[in-house]
Amino acid sequence: MTRRTIEIGMAASFAAFLIAVPWLIPALTDNFWVSVITEILIWSLFAASANLLFGYVGLLSFGQALYFGFGMYGVALGIDHFGLSFWPAFGLGIVAAMAMALLSGVFAVRLSWHYFAIITVVFSLIFYFLAVSMKPLTGGDDGINFSLPPVFRFGGAVWSLTDPTFQYFFVLAAVTVCFFLMYRVINSPLGKGFLAIRDNDLRASLIGLNVYVLRLIAFVMAGFLAGVSGALFAFFGRYASATYMFYQVSGEAVVWTIVGGAGTMFGPLVGTTLFIVIREIVSSHWEHHSLIVGLMAILVVIFAPKGIVGLWNGWMTRLGERDAAASVPPRLTLRADP
Amino acid sequence: MRDTVLLLAMNGLIWGLIIALIALGLSVIFGLLDIINIAHGDFFMVGTVLAWFSLSVTGNFWIGFIVAPLIGFVIGAIIQRLVIQPIHGVAALSIVATFGLSLILQEIVRITFGATPRRMLAPIQGTIPLFGVDYEIYRLFAAVIAVVALAGFFLFLQHTKLGIWMRAVRHDRETAIAMGIPAQRVYVLTFGVGFALAAFGGAVAAPITTVDFRGGVDVLPFCFMAVIIGGLGNLPGTVAAAVLLSFLEGLIQSFADPTVARISSLVLMSAVLLLRPQGLFKGFTK
Repeated sequence: MTRRTIEIGMAASFAAFLIAVPWLIPALTDNFWVSVITEILIWSLFAASANLLFGYVGLLSFGQALYFGFGMYGVALGIDHFGLSFWPAFGLGIVAAMAMALLSGVFAVRLSWHYFAIITVVFSLIFYFLAVSMKPLTGGDDGINFSLPPVFRFGGAVWSLTDPTFQYFFVLAAVTVCFFLMYRVINSPLGKGFLAIRDNDLRASLIGLNVYVLRLIAFVMAGFLAGVSGALFAFFGRYASATYMFYQVSGEAVVWTIVGGAGTMFGPLVGTTLFIVIREIVSSHWEHHSLIVGLMAILVVIFAPKGIVGLWNGWMTRLGERDAAASVPPRLTLRADP
Repeated sequence: MRDTVLLLAMNGLIWGLIIALIALGLSVIFGLLDIINIAHGDFFMVGTVLAWFSLSVTGNFWIGFIVAPLIGFVIGAIIQRLVIQPIHGVAALSIVATFGLSLILQEIVRITFGATPRRMLAPIQGTIPLFGVDYEIYRLFAAVIAVVALAGFFLFLQHTKLGIWMRAVRHDRETAIAMGIPAQRVYVLTFGVGFALAAFGGAVAAPITTVDFRGGVDVLPFCFMAVIIGGLGNLPGTVAAAVLLSFLEGLIQSFADPTVARISSLVLMSAVLLLRPQGLFKGFTK
């Protein structure tokens, strides 16, 4: 088997699994896991926003929770406060997150590395404390609840996220679209510009790339991904809370990304899945599941410093080299005697 | 009005001195090992908990001042060997590893100490009149202890063999190794010292704040800001920034509620980061 067949096979079975989830999972265990998988999809998108910045542009953001929170509150306030229906509220969440990312990005992307990391934390803390103190509007730590408007209405038929299967497919579709968009961006000339900045920003600027503008574009795109995930999470939980804007939430996205494999498309998905599945399995048996999660994080960075997907890619490369060595007869080389 | 301003400004100043101790540990670890230590707030928290345990076991508060940094030092050295050394100073990995550490430390404290926050009684009760305000004696005492510890740490860096080694390895690792300095051992000791500083800060602060397994979460961003605003690698700058930030926050608190004070100090911080990313004090020290 070559690397390509293995990977195509895995991608196909993964896609088949995702489509079969609403029927497969209840048959195997119970409905609870469908909602866990829905949640994993949403959080992977959030981790992908940290990955876009760190893995592809080399900017370590500890503030992605800010845009997640704006996506969340955009939806919650849109429905609860302004009485919007489903799609306008969804749009409001995304636009709010992107506008916030643009506003803070204008300042933040001027800095790099540690300074960038710190200023993203500072910005997210400012709005976290604002959200906590503006209790009448945001509900503070307790958050605000809202009831879901229907997604589509055709004559008498109504589709709403209250149906778990519809909710699952809605989230799956939204997350897939976002991942596809990210994939297209990464493989476009723009994405090559991102990678050039990640590898060496001075060199990138010397070959004529506008580092500031490219970083700002990436930052707003990451804000979009975080905003969509926040909006989806608001729909999923039917509420929004300031606690999701705290810096620890941003930190989790970074950790999931690095554990899964930063700078890879599937890294955030793998990392997020690993942590949430462990949390769900262990926490039902043992109260102190954080111990396992902490230990996992440490073990992964020690034994797989490029993340789980990085480890896999390493295996695949070695497999490819072995195949190449086996199939191609050693070429004769002419060498002049010294 | 004048009394509240004075009181809160004093509180801020003293809290700033304690934060300075913790941030110094963070700065030393960062400067020498290139480790972004997400668990540093929890090192402080462990210090408060150790102080609480040593008080409840021995009945003597002061023993905590020795026990907390000592145990902190040992745990720090062990952590460096087991967790920090294998990741070879890769900053991105250090974030994940110390995030894991932070979870583990918090959970261990939650198992042993419990999830409910507790208050510790100050060993010195009573107040004394100071500029017309009745001020808690213990807080003044804590300030003195913090200043002594800060001075002691700088003397240690300047005048002991280990301190000189630490500065040498930080300055130029290759040359230091070539000169026969055991860099690996210096790393272990440095991490221990960093933990000990935070734990000592915790022991001093325990009667002022609450003892809680999540007590480090709020302290962590503050310490990072002090390190960055003071200028990366500028230890006196770190101390000055911590004191200044906390003092300002205390001052603002006297005419606005604590959240507004926190927000304004954060806004101030972003301005400093954007205008002087090299730190406030570059050019003032060598």
